[in-house]
Amino acid sequence: MATQANSLSYAGCNFLRQRLVLSTLSGRPVKIRKIRARDDNPGLRDFEASFIRLLDKITNGSRIEINQTGTTLYYQPGLLYGGSVEHDCSVLRGIGYYLESLLCLAPFMKHPLKIVLRGVTNDQVDPSVDVLKATALPLLKQFGIDGESFELKIVRRGMPPGGGGEVVFSCPVRKVLKPIQLTDPGKIKRIRGMAYSVRVSPQMANRIVDSARSILNKFIPDIYIYTDHMKGVNSGKSPGFGLSLVAETTSGTFLSAELASNPQGQGAAVLPEDLGRNCAWLLLEEIYRGGCVDSTNQSLALLLMTLGQQDVSKVLLGPLSPYTIEFLRHLKSFFQIMFKIETKPCGEELKGGDKVLMTCVGIGFSNLSKTLK
Amino acid sequence: METKDQKKHRKKNSGPKAEKKKKRHLQDLQLGDEEDARKRNPKAFAVQSAVRMARSFHRTQDLKTKKHHIPVVDRTPLEPPPIVVVVMGPPKVGKSTLIQCLIRNFTRQKLTEIRGPVTIVSGKKRRLTIIECGCDINMMIDLAKVADLVLMLIDASFGFEMETFEFLNICQVHGFPKIMGVLTHLDSFKHNKQLKKTKKRLKHRFWTEVYPGAKLFYLSGMVHGEYQNQEIHNLGRFITVMKFRPLTWQTSHPYVLADRMEDLTNPEDIRTNIKCDRKVSLYGYLRGAHLKNKSQIHMPGVGDFAVSDISFLPDPCALPEQQKKRCLNEKEKLVYAPLSGVGGVLYDKDAVYVDLGGSHGFQDEVGPTHELVQSLISTHSTIDAKMASSRVTLFSDSKPLGSEDIDNQGLLMPKEEKQMDLKTGRMRRKAIFGDEDESGDSDDEENDEISEDDELENGSSDEEAEEEENAEMTDQYMAGKGVKRRKLEELEEDSEMDLPAFADSDDDLERSSAEEGEAEEADESSEEEDCTAGEGGISGSKAVGEGSKAGLSPANRQSDRVNLEKSLLMKKAALPTSDSGHCTAEEAFASEDESEESSSLGAEEEDSENEEAVRKKLSKPSQVSSGQKLGPRNLIDETSDIEDLLKEEEDYKEENNDSKETSGALKWKEDLSRKAAEAFLRQQQAAPNLRKLIYGTVAEDNEEEDGDTREELGGLFRVNQPDRECKHKADSLDCSRFLVEAPHDWDLEEVMNSIRDCFVTGKWEDDKDAAKVLAEDEELYGDFEDLETGDVHKGKSDSDTQNEEVEKEVKEEIDPNEEESAKKKHLDKKRKLKEMFDAEYDEGESTYFDDLKGEMQKQAQLNRAEFEDQDDEARVQYEGFRPGMYVRVEIENVPCEFVQNFDPHYPIILGGLGNSEGNVGYVQMRLKKHRWYKKILKSRDPIIFSVGWRRFQTIPLYYIEDHNGRQRLLKYTPQHMHCGAAFWGPITPQGTGFLAIQSVSGIMPDFRIAATGVVLDLDKSIKIVKKLKLTGFPYKIFKNTSFIKGMFNSALEVAKFEGAVIRTVSGIRGQIKKALRAPEGAFRASFEDKLLMSDIVFMQTWYPVSIPAFYNPVTSLLKAVGEKDTWSGMRTTGQLRLAHGVRLKANKDSLYKPILRQKKHFNSLHIPKALQKALPFKNKPKTQAKAGKVPKDRRRPAVIREPHERKILALLDALSTVHSQKMKKAKEQQHLHNKEHFRAKQKEEEEKLKRQKDLRKKLFRIQGQKERRNQKSSLKGAEGQLQ
Repeated sequence: MATQANSLSYAGCNFLRQRLVLSTLSGRPVKIRKIRARDDNPGLRDFEASFIRLLDKITNGSRIEINQTGTTLYYQPGLLYGGSVEHDCSVLRGIGYYLESLLCLAPFMKHPLKIVLRGVTNDQVDPSVDVLKATALPLLKQFGIDGESFELKIVRRGMPPGGGGEVVFSCPVRKVLKPIQLTDPGKIKRIRGMAYSVRVSPQMANRIVDSARSILNKFIPDIYIYTDHMKGVNSGKSPGFGLSLVAETTSGTFLSAELASNPQGQGAAVLPEDLGRNCAWLLLEEIYRGGCVDSTNQSLALLLMTLGQQDVSKVLLGPLSPYTIEFLRHLKSFFQIMFKIETKPCGEELKGGDKVLMTCVGIGFSNLSKTLK
Repeated sequence: METKDQKKHRKKNSGPKAEKKKKRHLQDLQLGDEEDARKRNPKAFAVQSAVRMARSFHRTQDLKTKKHHIPVVDRTPLEPPPIVVVVMGPPKVGKSTLIQCLIRNFTRQKLTEIRGPVTIVSGKKRRLTIIECGCDINMMIDLAKVADLVLMLIDASFGFEMETFEFLNICQVHGFPKIMGVLTHLDSFKHNKQLKKTKKRLKHRFWTEVYPGAKLFYLSGMVHGEYQNQEIHNLGRFITVMKFRPLTWQTSHPYVLADRMEDLTNPEDIRTNIKCDRKVSLYGYLRGAHLKNKSQIHMPGVGDFAVSDISFLPDPCALPEQQKKRCLNEKEKLVYAPLSGVGGVLYDKDAVYVDLGGSHGFQDEVGPTHELVQSLISTHSTIDAKMASSRVTLFSDSKPLGSEDIDNQGLLMPKEEKQMDLKTGRMRRKAIFGDEDESGDSDDEENDEISEDDELENGSSDEEAEEEENAEMTDQYMAGKGVKRRKLEELEEDSEMDLPAFADSDDDLERSSAEEGEAEEADESSEEEDCTAGEGGISGSKAVGEGSKAGLSPANRQSDRVNLEKSLLMKKAALPTSDSGHCTAEEAFASEDESEESSSLGAEEEDSENEEAVRKKLSKPSQVSSGQKLGPRNLIDETSDIEDLLKEEEDYKEENNDSKETSGALKWKEDLSRKAAEAFLRQQQAAPNLRKLIYGTVAEDNEEEDGDTREELGGLFRVNQPDRECKHKADSLDCSRFLVEAPHDWDLEEVMNSIRDCFVTGKWEDDKDAAKVLAEDEELYGDFEDLETGDVHKGKSDSDTQNEEVEKEVKEEIDPNEEESAKKKHLDKKRKLKEMFDAEYDEGESTYFDDLKGEMQKQAQLNRAEFEDQDDEARVQYEGFRPGMYVRVEIENVPCEFVQNFDPHYPIILGGLGNSEGNVGYVQMRLKKHRWYKKILKSRDPIIFSVGWRRFQTIPLYYIEDHNGRQRLLKYTPQHMHCGAAFWGPITPQGTGFLAIQSVSGIMPDFRIAATGVVLDLDKSIKIVKKLKLTGFPYKIFKNTSFIKGMFNSALEVAKFEGAVIRTVSGIRGQIKKALRAPEGAFRASFEDKLLMSDIVFMQTWYPVSIPAFYNPVTSLLKAVGEKDTWSGMRTTGQLRLAHGVRLKANKDSLYKPILRQKKHFNSLHIPKALQKALPFKNKPKTQAKAGKVPKDRRRPAVIREPHERKILALLDALSTVHSQKMKKAKEQQHLHNKEHFRAKQKEEEEKLKRQKDLRKKLFRIQGQKERRNQKSSLKGAEGQLQ
């Protein structure tokens, strides 16, 4: 029975998404206290409230209790339901904030999820939908989550602070996941990118492309950066531009980097040339870190490995991000899963920094929501 | 001479040899035989019909494919756990005898009494756990879930019994383990034929239940109360070579069939409250899947628990070492059955148990000598309190005296006091302080001793505890000086206990840095250990008190005590070094390169971890010790060298001190996560031990505790410490992006070069470089011969090697290496050629199935290989405890009845639960009433389900799904059909089988399994509906429109149903239009025809029903010994009514009454006159005027005869009577005559026939004689001719 002893307790609002997502998947209730308790503006923020609302929409039977000031949250998860959902995300955070969690949950719904998310598609904080589309989706495919209906479509672009973007994410349902062995990152064979500009001159995108190419051309000739200038209704409510780059390797690994312009009215104006150059450098930085999974998707890969069958899964990662480290701890407390972590120091070959080989045995998770027919 | 004696060779005319020769002869003649019909007559075997050919091909392929199972990854452990053999059968069939015989067969030992599972080594690679299963359905269900093999005993003299079929059905539902029937009591058959017949009959019945061809074993008879040795031996052979198929539930869930149980509860707690929740440890082999610490388990019959601790023990019944010999020697034939008192010395984590033969720990033996001790132990209040409360009456009418009275009037005590009994004497002594004290002391001492004795088993006493506390203080003081005390004997164990990856890593460092920071070390270590999620809020001093109070776990204390008594030992010498080099290197690096500040920090960190490691080795980190250690450390901490630390660090420490009492929580928590950030700056330079960084060093985590353990000041106020926990950490931005902290300068050439090889344009590895691979191939496949042209192409390298060889010869093999390499090359070449050949011929058509199978095999290999090289302690952390290990599972908060009413005959199963399987929700299943169950099941009647590991009572609703997906409630289950069932209960994965029984208690006369089925769906809400018909009556009828009332109560309700379809009973359809104002709830409706006032209008609606949230686990194991099969849960309404004698109040209208039909009275048909006129005659009503009364003159007068006439008439009458009589007689006579005649005729006929028959007989005889004569004569003639 869902006893109180079964529930986990945390303090602080950081890693809220991880906790709620893992709670939903493991079925263990979670209590989070002291959410910005010492802050001048205590309690949950709008974007977190919106996230909780989203969870409520895609689950059935969840119990959410928030105290008066919003500093304490008790979440008793229900079963993942899915179906057709629409959600207006808060403009304080990008859609990526919500989408990252949805990527973790979507394969385990009762009905295939088809969700329309509205809000900010590209911002400076969260991984943009472009990057997630280019990196997270192929990653999920490695685990056997695939099919016609598996897609992420960007209908409209919205930049902060106004937002107004829209994406459609649909994902099929799986009962079990395949174990993976991603130990060979392969070599980068091509670099693709997307330079977007909304409510600014279309020339901006071209300027970004030129500067980014100038850096990357030193390494590989196969570079193609698309320019995407959305107009009218599709351009959202605020002006802005940015660039996302994805490097694809011979073994199907995707590494990404992105940069967006400052939101309107915040900070100094950014030159598109600088942005392109910086973004290219970021991509090189990401390549230096290396691994078979992008640094933003590390936690997703580790989660899906954990949720696999009782088989050994392996993945080679670059240095672990703080988010991933916390995620590993959460995985331990929610699923009692510990990863075998082996550092692979870089040898003589010129392949960037140290790598980490993560190995685990899946917990034999099976989708409890899916109906047997 | 001899040659003459020899017989001449005779050709064989028959036998195989002759046949062979004949065949050869025929073949030589090219005649062939039947087998070569295809060759002989090819036309007959030609394709007649392509369609039929295709069809037959299709069919063979289908059959082939049908044989395939979905390949699964083989997850069986290398050293599998013993096979669970359940011996099942009705009472008095010979189960115990069979078990005893089997044990004797395998181990040459004889067990007198068998309780619980018995584990034996049965072969070089196989162990068996044999357990007996009685007729209690609880036991049957539980054991069917864990059984690998079932020996189903059947009394052949009686035949099958219900239990057998019940058990078969239970097995079927829960995965169907291997089942082997054993027929016993075969010696009771007198006649062999009857025996044979019975055997055959039973066998065929058994086959229909299990599968055709299932093994049925016959135990023919008993010899001296035991089965025949040979038969038992054969049975044993069968068991040892048997193969098993994996069962889904068993392979996906870990489970333990416990073979030993110990109560670890603090005896003091039991003494004060005998009903307190217990802490028990259970032992057994882990089976199924990997079990992780802290995971959820279910004990069937007890309830759900979380594993509070789990550890593995050396295998008590280990398989023999692998040797090349055929059979086991006597020493290896082990038997292990702690519940039966077999197994000798048992080792535990903190104790050694020696079996004293028959005296079992769970049985309270109340011997006379123990009585006093027992009574003393079982006192619930101290002697002082008792004395204070006890009163004495000296005289029958006096006021009872209390101790205080005696105190007050001590000197006024009358002399009669000498007559006091022993008790009053004690009282008196009590009054006189010194005297009383003495005696009291002695009592106390005695008590202490006793308790000590008693507690010795559990490992602590109060004295020890005190001593230990003191010692603890000194200990940690010593520890502060960097001296480690350890037990020599425990060394091995301890080093096993810790995590080798980092436990010992910092020895060097510790020693080096010991001088520089003693105090630092102390405070840091305490901090490290106890950092938690930051639920602080208590002052340090408080925490000390709390710490010393908390956690009086005797086990821990004892282990600590043991540590204390140990001689001093250098830790470094003791511990094995696995990866210390790595860490020390890093550490050294840190201390050298970084500033003094940071180096001290690092050192502290390391030291503290070291400390932890040590403590962990000594025992599981106990709250007590940590709490105690805190005190002085905190003081030191506060006073000394704060300036050494960063400001942030300081905050941390205070925070940590506050939350000291919540120690045992994950050590990494906040502190380490902060360190993570720090460490990451260093990460680029030195390779850190990531594992330590992420998971910390202590595997203990009980976050649950820190919720409510806040200390309150005076019970009212809470000390509100300024909560300065890293706000920026806990409340910082939640973002998954990994920002670059120290970007490289990508304009620099060397920086750019560092990632050159990440691109396809860079350098490739040798095995992947296209150019090199090509060259290699060229080398191997370079030489070939073009068959068309006859050219011989030689590989370049080959010629090179030839040249080399020539050179070599010249050099006379100076270099052996080169030769070796050449050999290798040659081998390589061969291998590649073989691969090519295989690819071309053997693996030409690899099917999807083969691929899948190969993939699974590869995965299985990887699974086995991945953690093979690690030792068990580390492995357990990654994989969890793997099946096959002998584990000890500690569970807290077990109901006391489990221990008090422990019955070793009942199996204790710890079934691991998957994620969310501990939660409850709505479960929907497909259910079918069992065809042998006599009754049908009723919705909302409580019923007991067995799903997954659980047995529980719940209230199901039955439903059926309509074609449009609507789930319609059923009042009763259909008789011979599947239906749906939904209940509120524990979530169990889809596809799990279940069975339902009405009651687990007592003996029911018939088949007990009520229903079986499978789980289909899990949800948190449910959509079962029932039909609801709303009726109304027209009160005003227009043409096709009517006003209807009585269906609704308000206009609002009507509005809700506007447009809904309604119908009259007579079938006129209509629609609700609009609400009317006048009678509340009336509405206007339109119909397809005009209604009658007598019509009833109704609307069909669907009303959702709710499922009662009732989930009641069957706690049969908590019942008293001997009553375990009497569990009864919620009763059905029917049972309640029966028990209370409440009759159901029947609705009068529903009663059946004799149908009284009133005679229908029809009105006369009235045809208008005009119409009558118009009708043709035949249709005109024929209304004949009734004949009126006959007038008098028309009536005939009565005839009055004259006497003469009367005479004549009388004579005529008499004559006619006589005549008729005559006629009658004549007729009779005639009849008789006829009969006679017929008989005579028949006789004649018979005679005639007889005569004819005789005649014919005679004729035939003559004819026959004649013929014979003829024959004889002809034969004779022939012979004569011959002669």
